[in-house]
Amino acid sequence: MKISTKGRYGLRAMIDLAIHCDEGYVPLASISERQDLSLNYLESIFAYLKRAGLVTGIAGAQGGYVLSRPADKISLLNILSVLEGDMSVYDSVGDETKIRSFLNRNVWEAIDQNVNKVLTGTTLKDVMEEIKTQCLSNDCSGL
Amino acid sequence: MKLSTKSRYALEGLLYMAVYGTDRPMSVKETAAGISVSAAYMEQIFFKLKKAGLLSPVRGAKGGFIFGQPENEITVGSIIRAIDGNLVPVGCVDNLSACTSKARSSCVSRGVWIRIGSAISDTADHLTLTMLKNRFIAENGDVKNENIN
Repeated sequence: MKISTKGRYGLRAMIDLAIHCDEGYVPLASISERQDLSLNYLESIFAYLKRAGLVTGIAGAQGGYVLSRPADKISLLNILSVLEGDMSVYDSVGDETKIRSFLNRNVWEAIDQNVNKVLTGTTLKDVMEEIKTQCLSNDCSGL
Repeated sequence: MKLSTKSRYALEGLLYMAVYGTDRPMSVKETAAGISVSAAYMEQIFFKLKKAGLLSPVRGAKGGFIFGQPENEITVGSIIRAIDGNLVPVGCVDNLSACTSKARSSCVSRGVWIRIGSAISDTADHLTLTMLKNRFIAENGDVKNENIN
């Protein structure tokens, strides 16, 4: 059970954008540098994010991207469903035997619901705040 | 973000054993037939479950497999880990050196993968074979003597 490269790189880029876009349009080159991600790959990922309406881009020398709505209005589900598609841990395999449909309902669906709670309940703003707290506690650890 | 088919069949096989074979060893062939997969495939699954200590072999004419741990200590999480090695959405969650990025030490997204990983393992590590067996029997009545399919 693994998240794809697109999902991993894309989320990192979105969080980076969220952290920096209050300074204006963020060029992909700067995300590429900070996040150690190839510019080509970022361009293709941002094409998806733009089409999904999560980011707004402008061309030109001062160009780049911003979030198209406030960070507390963008959930992890919004982002990952664009990058990963369906986030369920299972899909239907073989015949629906009694034992299989039982496990679908009682185990796999239960896991999906718990994951979904995190995905819908966590916004980009929550993630940014968590990072900020981590940075603060890192600074204190030197004392 | 899909679990392997193998880990799903492993859980089906073990639940089948818990419901239909508590008082005796069950063969690979019987378990495979019970959940409608090939015996060769079930054999691969049982090999991994045995290696992880979840199943113990019993020799002899009426031999087969029994649980290697108490049924109420075998969780969905332990079964998936036995088959897939781990239960995390991204490798860095349980092993930071799985990540080769230069941005690793200041990673902005690992916290999210940890949250998702916890949501998965909270559920999976809480569900035991005994709980599932009891629920299955409550839903389906006493199923011991009927065909599961």
